[in-house]
Order: sequence, then C-alpha cells, then structure tokens
Amino acid sequence: MSSQAVTITYAGPLVFLSTDHWKQIYASLLSQLPLRNLHWKSSARNALRSIQELDVKLVALETLRDDHAASQVPQTVLDKPLLNMYIFICEDSESYRVNNRKHIKEWHASVSQRKNQEWLIVHVVRPDQNVAQGRLFQMKASVLDKVKADFNADKKDRCVQLVWSAEKDSPAVWADLVTKVKDGILSAFDGALKQREDEVKRSEGQRQMPGWNFCTFFILKESVANSLEGMNLYEDSLQQYFELEEIFSQVLREKNLSWFGTLITPTPNDDSAPLLSVDKKPYRDLILANTISVFDFRIYLLSRECALLGKMGDMEELCRKAASFLSTFARTLREVENTLAPFFIESWIYSSALSVVDQSEDWARTLQLDKPALASFNAAKGELVELARHQLDILGIAAGFLPNKPPFSLALPSFINLADKSPRNRRASMDLTITRPELLSSLVDADALYDQYVSITNRAIDLYVTAGRRKFALKMHGSLAALDVHRDRLGNALQTFTSLPAHYSPHGWTSLEAFMLNRALDIHASTEKTKDREWIHILLHFLRAYVDGMGRDLLMSEEDSKVYVEGLVASLKDAAQEMDSDIPSPDHTVLSVSLPFRDATLAESRDGALLGIVVQNKLPCALPVDEVEVQLGGRDNTKITFTVKVASLAPGLNKLTAFCPSSAPGTYALFSTQITMSRLLFQWKHTKTAKQIRAGNLPTLVHIPKDHCALDVKLKQPPRIELGIPSRAVVVLSTGRNEVASAVVKLGAPSGVTFKYAETEMIGDDPPPFRTENDCVMFLDIKPGQTVAASIPHSDASAYHYMKVTITVDYVTTSEQAITRTLRLNRMIATSLPVAINVEDFFRGTRLVALPTLFTMFTLSTTSHQHVRVKTTQLSSQSESSGVKVTGCTAQKPSVVTITPVQPGRFLFQMDSIRGQVREGLKLHIMYRMLREEVESLVELAVKEAVAEDADIAPHRQDIVDKLVQSLESSATWVELYGVTGELVPPGVEPSDDQIGKGLRRALEILKQKRTPISFGDWREIVIPVDVPQMHILAAARLQILENPVAEGTTKTERRKRPLYAGQPISALLAVQTSFHWAPLEDKKVESYHMRYEVEDLINDWLVSGRKRGDFTARVSHLHRDGETLTVPVTLIALHHGELALPKISVTALPIIAGGEHRMRSSVVPGCDTHQVHGAEKVLVLPRGGRTTFVVNMGNNDAINPL
Amino acid sequence: MPSPLKLNAPSHLIRTFAQGQDELKYHYIAHTSLDVIDERNAAAIASKSTDCYMNLLYTMEDVAVYGYMTPLKMKIIIALALTDSVVRDADVLTIFRALHTAYRHAVANPFLRLDAPIDGHNDHATVLLAGSPKWKRKAVGAFSLAA
Repeated sequence: MSSQAVTITYAGPLVFLSTDHWKQIYASLLSQLPLRNLHWKSSARNALRSIQELDVKLVALETLRDDHAASQVPQTVLDKPLLNMYIFICEDSESYRVNNRKHIKEWHASVSQRKNQEWLIVHVVRPDQNVAQGRLFQMKASVLDKVKADFNADKKDRCVQLVWSAEKDSPAVWADLVTKVKDGILSAFDGALKQREDEVKRSEGQRQMPGWNFCTFFILKESVANSLEGMNLYEDSLQQYFELEEIFSQVLREKNLSWFGTLITPTPNDDSAPLLSVDKKPYRDLILANTISVFDFRIYLLSRECALLGKMGDMEELCRKAASFLSTFARTLREVENTLAPFFIESWIYSSALSVVDQSEDWARTLQLDKPALASFNAAKGELVELARHQLDILGIAAGFLPNKPPFSLALPSFINLADKSPRNRRASMDLTITRPELLSSLVDADALYDQYVSITNRAIDLYVTAGRRKFALKMHGSLAALDVHRDRLGNALQTFTSLPAHYSPHGWTSLEAFMLNRALDIHASTEKTKDREWIHILLHFLRAYVDGMGRDLLMSEEDSKVYVEGLVASLKDAAQEMDSDIPSPDHTVLSVSLPFRDATLAESRDGALLGIVVQNKLPCALPVDEVEVQLGGRDNTKITFTVKVASLAPGLNKLTAFCPSSAPGTYALFSTQITMSRLLFQWKHTKTAKQIRAGNLPTLVHIPKDHCALDVKLKQPPRIELGIPSRAVVVLSTGRNEVASAVVKLGAPSGVTFKYAETEMIGDDPPPFRTENDCVMFLDIKPGQTVAASIPHSDASAYHYMKVTITVDYVTTSEQAITRTLRLNRMIATSLPVAINVEDFFRGTRLVALPTLFTMFTLSTTSHQHVRVKTTQLSSQSESSGVKVTGCTAQKPSVVTITPVQPGRFLFQMDSIRGQVREGLKLHIMYRMLREEVESLVELAVKEAVAEDADIAPHRQDIVDKLVQSLESSATWVELYGVTGELVPPGVEPSDDQIGKGLRRALEILKQKRTPISFGDWREIVIPVDVPQMHILAAARLQILENPVAEGTTKTERRKRPLYAGQPISALLAVQTSFHWAPLEDKKVESYHMRYEVEDLINDWLVSGRKRGDFTARVSHLHRDGETLTVPVTLIALHHGELALPKISVTALPIIAGGEHRMRSSVVPGCDTHQVHGAEKVLVLPRGGRTTFVVNMGNNDAINPL
Repeated sequence: MPSPLKLNAPSHLIRTFAQGQDELKYHYIAHTSLDVIDERNAAAIASKSTDCYMNLLYTMEDVAVYGYMTPLKMKIIIALALTDSVVRDADVLTIFRALHTAYRHAVANPFLRLDAPIDGHNDHATVLLAGSPKWKRKAVGAFSLAA
C-alpha cells in the first residue's frame, strides 16, 4: 500500500507505438525517471514543498481503464493517473491533418473530461526535420502550432515538441517535456488533493451528527495521508496521522466509540507479533468493517506513523513514540486485564519493544546517521530495551523468581495486583496463554528468566553506553547487582555495589550512594566476610552518606535505622581495634569539631591551658571514641596540641574541655583536629589557603593568655660584654609554681651560630645541679619560684644585629612525673652593641716635642634610634707595671651622659708613656644602659614601691606597669624633663577610680620625685680592648715670623712690634723638631730617618721665598732618643692685607733606603705624625696705604729713603 | 548551581506526591534525567536555542519525565504519572514556571541562609540542600501553587 507511485498514461497512434522508434523513445523516457526536484506550491499550505524525487509509473492508457472506480472506498488520489500523454510523430502539417488529428481529438475528448487529471500532447520530431521545418517556418505554421491551435484552449501550454533521435539522446532534449510533465503532475495532484481534503473537512464538520462514522472518516483522511506519502511528502503525511490521533483521542474522550469493537479482541500471537508491521492483520478491512478493536486501531496508527518516521530517517522519534505508546496504552489495557491472557500486557510490551528495536535497526541500516543522531537513536533504543527488561521484572516477581522489593519492584505499575498475576491463581476459565516463547519458559524456569534478564539488561547497558547515557547504565548495573544478590552470587554483587557509590558520590547523590553502600554492607554481613579495612571504608562512606540527610530517605524507618546504625557503629569499633595499622579518614562528616570560645583558659593549679571544644555527632546513636585532639598552629610553625579523653560521643553536641600541658601564650589558628577510635582516625585540616582567606573565609583564632605562674624562660644579653672573647647568651629560667624535676633547655639559632653548652656557667647564688650535653643543658631539681640563670657562650654572630633563638624547654614537674611538658618560644637577642666607638689619637708635647703625650678621644654614638645613658667610661691598663699612665680628662662628675642619635658623646684621655718600656693594651670600660631599660626599671621600682604600701593592688601590678609603659611609648614629651631632672611624668595617664587607678596614682607620685639615675637600677658594661698607638717619628713644625731679619737666633717670647704690610717681605724661620718617644720598641736600632718638609702653597695669600722644600735627616739622639731641630730661614710676602693664617708645613718620612741592616724592611715608610705648632696662629697684615715717592739719586750715594 | 563542583548535584529534595511509592525509583529518575538533560542541552547549544523547557525527557513504565533548566542552570525535573490522554506542553510549562518562581523566591529569602555555614557563603545551593524543613514547606507550597 505504501508503494504508491504517480501514474502517467500514454497513448498514441497504434502505428507509431508499434515502431522501434517508439520503443527507443520509451526507453529513453524511462531513463529520465524518477522525476527530481519538484516544487509544489499548494493553495492550502503556506510553504513551498519540495519533493526531491518522485517515482512515476508509465502505463499505456488502455491497460488502465478496467479497474478504475470500482470501489467506493476512497483510495489515494494517486490511484488514478495524474497525467495523460499523447505521443505522436508527424512529418508535416499535412500528414498531421490527415493522419493524426482525428485520433488526438478522440483521445482529448475522453481524457480532458476526467476530473483532476492533466493531459499533454507530445509531438516527436527528428532533429533533421526540425531543420527543414525551420526553412518553411514563415510559409506555413508548424505541426505544433497547429496542434496548439486545435487543442490548447486555455492559457496553459499543454503541447510540447520532443526533438529526439537515438543519436541525440541527452537530458537537454527532454528538459522541456519533463518540465511540462512535472507541471502537469503537480497541478493535477493539487486539484485532486484539494478536493479530497475538502471532503475530509466536510466529514470532520459532521462529527457531531448522528451516523458519522469515525472509521469512514479515518479511511478518507488516511487516503489524504497516503496520497501525500505517495508524493514523498512524508511530513505532511505524518501530520495527517497526527491529526487523526488527535481526533481519535477527542472522540475517545467523548466516548463516542460505538463504531469500534471492544477495546481489544485478543487473537493468538497478539502479544508476540511485531508491533510495527502494518500487514500482520488486515487492518484496513477491519476498519472498513467497523470491527477493528481500539487495540488494533492504535497499533495500526502507530505503525503507520512509525513507518513514515522511518522513511524520514527520524529514528529517535520513532523509538520514542513507540516507547511512549507502549507505556501509555499498557495502562489502558490494564483496565481490561482480566479478560486477557495472563501476562498478556507484559508479553506484548516485551515483544513489541524488542521488535521496534529490531525494526528500527533494520530501517536505519540504509541511513547515514551523524553522531548525535546515532547517540540519541541508541538512547531511545536503550529505553525500549529497558522497557522490555521491566516486563521481565514484573514476570519474575509474579512468578516468584524475583523478590518483590527494589530495585525489581520499581517496574511494578502502581496499581498492579500481584495476587491476580500469580501463576497459582490463574483463572481456570481462561485457557489463553501468551505466546512469546522465551517468556513462557521464563515463567516456569528461574534460570531461563535470569539468563534472559541478564542478556536484556546487558543489551540495554550497551545501548546506553554507546549513547553516552552513563547514569542510565549505572542504574542497570545496579539492577544486575541486585539480581546477583538474589542468585547468591554475592562476590559479583559486592564488587558492583562497592564500585557504584563512587559514581554517585561526586555530585552529591548521597541517597543513591547510601543505598548502594547499604547493599554492600548487607552483602558483606551476609557473606560473613571478615570486617577488614575495605569494610571499614565502605562503612565510613555509608555513614557519611547517611548523615548527609538524603541518604536516610531510601533506607528504612527512623527507629530501624537507629538500631541498624548502632550495630554498625559497634562493629566499627571492634573492627577498628583489630586493625594493625592506623586508618586515617580525612574530613568525615559524621563528626565535626568546633571551637565555641576564642579564648583558652589557664589551668590555674598547674601549667597548661584549657580549651572548650564542641564535638557534634550527627549519628542517631553514641559513637565510642578514645580521644579528641585539637592542634593549634602559632607563629613560626609552632604547634600545640590539646587533648581530651572521652569514652563516647553522644548524638548531637558534646561539650568537652581539652587540656594542653605545654602552652605558650599567644594567638593561634586552628590547625587540625583528630578524633581517635582505636586505630581509626577521623581527621580534619582547618588551615585556609590564601584564596579562601581572601574570600572572607577566615581561620579560627584562639588566644591563650599568659600564665604568670607558669614556667618561663628568657634569653638575655649578659650584663658584661667583653669584646674579643666569645659572646654569651644568658638563659633565665623561672619555675613559677612548679617544682621542676628536670628541665632540658635547647637553643636553636640561625645557621652558622652554635652554642657551646659544655662551657655553660651558672650565674647567681644557689645554682641547681646541671648537666650539659652536646645539644642541650639540663637543670635538675629546681624549687618553685626559683630563677636560674645560665650563661652559654656561642660562636660569632656578628653578622646579625639580632639573633632569633628558638628556646625549647622540656620539663618534668615532680607532681606530674608522667607528663613531659614542652615550652617552645622564640626570642630575639641583640648581638650587636648599642653603641659604636670611634678612636682618635693626638700627640702633643708638653715641652714642645721633648716629651710628647698622647691624647685619645673616644666618640660614642648609638647604633639605633634609642638614647643610651653612659654612667662612666674608664680607660685602664691591665696591670700596674704597664708603661702607660692614663689620666682621664673629663671631670668625673656623678652625672650621666646621654647619647642620642644626634649627639654623640666624646671622652678624652691623656696618656704618658715611659720610654722604652713594653706597652700593654688598655681596656675601655663603659657602664651604660638604654634609656628604655632605665625607665622601665624605674617604673617597675615605682610600682613595686606602691604595691609594697598597699597590698590590695598587688594583683594589678602588671596592668599598672603595662599602662605606664604604654603611656610612655605613646609620646616622647617626658624625655627632656627626665633627662634634666630625673622626674618621670608619663603623659596622658588618667587613673580610674578602681584599684588600678589607685595604684597608678601612687606610682605616678613616686615617679615624679627627683632622682639621679645613678641611684637605681643595674648598669651594663662593655669592655673594649684598646691598643696603645705607636709612631716612629713625631715631628713638630713651626713657622715663626722674625722681628728682625738680620738678627741671629730667635726667642719665642719676643713680641713683634713692627706692623706687617702687604707686599712687603717678611722674614720667617721654619723649625722642625723630631721626636722618637712613641716609636715602637723594635725601632731602637734605627739611627736616622730621611725626612722631607714642604711649605704649603697658599698662592692667594702668601708668596714663599727661600727653601720652600727640603730633605733633611732626623738623627736619633742616643741620650733621650729625641731628634734635633732643623731651622731654615724663609721670606714671606703677604699678597693682600687681612688676618692671615701662616702656611702649613708638611713633614713626611721618606722610605727607608733598601740595603744594609734595613734590608728586611726595605719597602717600609716609617710612620710620621706632624704637629703644626703654629696651626692656630694668625698674623695681621696691614694694607700698604698712602703715597710712595721714590727719589732717584743721581750719582749721590745716599741710601734710598722711602717716605 | 553556580559552583562547577556541585554541577548536577541534587539541590532539592526529591519528593513524590504519589502514595506508597518507592523513593528509590524517583531518585533514579532524577539522576538518570540528568543524562537526557545533558543530551538536550548539547542539542540546544548546537541550535542556539535559549528555551528553558526541555520537553518530555523520557517515559519509563508509568511515569513521564519532564525537564526544565533555568538560565542559571538549575534543573527542575517533574515526573508525572503516565496517562493515555495527551498532556499538553503548555500545562507542563506552567508547572515548571511556577516551580521556578517558587525557587527564586526561596533563594532570594535572606532568612533561609541563616543556618548555612559561612564556608559556602557564595554557594547558595548549600542552603537548599535537602533536609531543611523550611525548604520542605516551600516545596509543598510551590507544588500547590502549580497544581
């Protein structure tokens, strides 16, 4: 029926039709078929319909006539020919008139009367005739024109000429004819269809009238659909069926079903027949006879639709439609289930679904489906196969081969009555059975059912997997596993159930995850396998899913689950004990630990801190655990751990207090928590990444207060620092309330610095016994309240200003011998000195150069911004017999020198040496302290005094000190006053009315008193070794202006009487005296040095005349080792008037000439220090004023007399 | 569900309004629907369609499953009892729109967030996780609105 094709009739003169020529033409015409690219513009439809390809049947007109219009049943419009062709051949118009015209007329008369049929006259000419005709063109009309004139009455051109010969056969020859044929077919089809559709519309309009028959209507409408299908217009055809379906459902709703038979009249094999076969039953006859059942009718409708969909290549829609139909119609069938064979519906769905899959695969074989289409086709097929599988579920449950519980029972329709289905309950009156063989065998043989079940399920899985539907496949796997459980193949089932949760958990499908895990646990229990590590993991996952909320829904009732979980938890505890190694379980959700308080409290009676924690147990039952542990992280990766032992955690919130024996004060961030259950460790990490913190997700902070009574350790610089010997650090350990049995102190310093524990020295009275090891020092038996100080030398750390030392103290108290407490602190210790010291030496002679003394100036400046208070400086020789006598130049007043960054302190010492003695090194002792230290100790003292007066304020002592120090830090206005008077007035302190305020007021009073800084506090000391300088030659140079240039010898005391004028020569005497008093002892043998003096050029002030530069020899006098004096007269001319300084004289020692006894020191330049004796002298030079007259004596011998 | 990690996580409780039904079945339905939604999504992206309504996803036994995805990729799935009569898309779409509106109202409710942990402060799906009684009431309300 579906192989409908458009029919075209042909006719022609019998003579012509019997020629070979016609046969050739006919063959050529057939080769032009099928027609391609037809464009149908229908008046009833909006869009232009394109027909890619249309099959055309060519038949002779005579053969057709007989069976035409025999039936009343509307056939398709294509039953009748759409186009009639008359083909003739004719040489010229004459022969046309004689031979053909009559025939054509007869034909035309018969054909043109037919409704909805087109006609076409084809005039065949040979190509050569065409040329001949062209010649005659103007003389007479062609045959074609004549034909047109005879028959073509209306506008439409229905005559065509075919210029054809066997030699010239090409599509171009046919083009004109083919176009005409297409036009003719389409116009005839359009007319016919329009007429038919009008009929349909009319019939549909009469629906409410009595006597209207749906079946008749259906046939009518279907003929439209068939016609469209015949024209290859599948979509339009399908639309007709959709409309039919719509109308059917309307009719169904109106219950106007009188013309239908029963819902279903089951015939054998109904349940196992292929669904999509349209000819498995004589459907059309049944419809015509009004005896078709709804069942058959629906199937017929569906199969027609599917056939069309198949032709369109829409496989996905086909399968989906079938599946949807099976499901929906099955529901309808259930209503009359009692009248059907047992399991008829299941069998029908099963067979139909599978047959649809087979059929669609068959159809799809010819199609080229692209990837997404193939995937969705596979998915649709998968759904069908799954539908079939569900029927097996139902059958299995009904037959008792499968348990009536999930997942098998999922397939059961909600209203099914299993009792009816049971084979034992089979109705005796019914001897109908289903006919699907494999289902029949499945009903009696469990293994057959199982095999069938597995193979169908696997088929569905394969289809789903190729379709990319992973989640559907998972579901199928789950059901396979369930079957394995039922068949006691527990190994397989366990494997599946343990692997499935992993697929559900990533997206939070805890409900399904929990279900799978639950199954796994059940199987585990029923197989009585050992509760090993794997079991624990399954259980932990299960509990996680269980507490996530949704997991509970699928399992069981609330009470049951509680008992169930209790049992699980108990066996978890047992299993955890059996384990031989720890099982960490990170971030489990069953338990959670939180810190409700941000402050830890002190344990008071002993060292350590208490931290309140809340553990939430989300299980409905108590969870037996051993210990809860909270780890906090502080600065520099220090970690402290709070622990609390608990037997079990009750459901809900558990408030616990954890204790940490060794806690350093400070702020800590929650680092990690751990709850121990035998070998099972629930762990959580709480550290936050930088990204989380940026997002406002801040870490939990805990503050641990300072315990004043706890053991404490401090690191200090020793009070006396001596340069040149190894540096030391002082460890001060105060026990507080503890009686310490042993305390091991370890110091960790930056790289390169090592502590020499072996050389530890105890400081202070009553030192406790101690032991030193390579890496620590251990103190034993320290009493409560005792403070132990030990100084430990360390290697050179001068590369750092400050050294960061990690102090670790492991100590055991006598009261709690079992606990080793660890105190871990980071302390900074200054390694550099707070002052910098510069030394300058000056040699001066008391009696000119005869006995030069040495003045040494020490400049002390602070290295930081802080003020340093210097109490005394003292330069001392190490022993009495030293050859140096030191005299302090500064008057030793009891005042304290303050060194500030802007104002360094200078300290001058005079040294006299006894010649020829070995001079030992000296030491500079500086007693100093930082201003801050001083003031802090002053505050401490003041507060101590205040506390001593009033015991009530004792507890607030630290607060008062802090407050005062804080106020001193806030502003520097008090410094000046304090520096001058010693009165300390902290700015901005406003005492309150409580105890603190009281103490504060008293302390302020005490601080306000006048005092000298020497009266209180400790001073630090620096000892610096100082070398006594040595100098080979000391020279004293002097330029002296002489009163009288002529006079011999000079006396220093002679006062200059004559004024000096600019431009006039001035006589002067240059004197250089040398001394060897401070020469090194090894220079004893040297007798003379070569020296050079030079007068400084001051070209703007002085002209120097005379021996401006000269070498001389300084001889060592054997008597007192002082050199001689060299005197050289020079003349100076002042270049301008004014107060002028005299030129300086530089004296240098020339290198000692190589050879002789000095060979070893050939390249040595002896040290030489020159003292400008006249360095501070200035002379007044007057301007040369007035007029000067020169009288030139002409031959007279009188002296020149300037006026 | 803005966080990619939580993609396809069940943010709503899965509820059935039929009596005596197996919960597991509906969990399975919701879960497997995601596969189909993904398929439809791929097709929708290919055709540049912006329609939220995903049409009938599939039918299985006695339920028809419909899908809807909001512009923010929140997926709503309805499973209706299968009947022989035609269910019009427009009706299903009305239900979806009502559910979507209810969801929007609920998410916009600042009080729903009070109990949520600070950790997930920009992941609003966590506040809607199943088990919150508030949300349960909401869901019922939404359904009655749609019905």
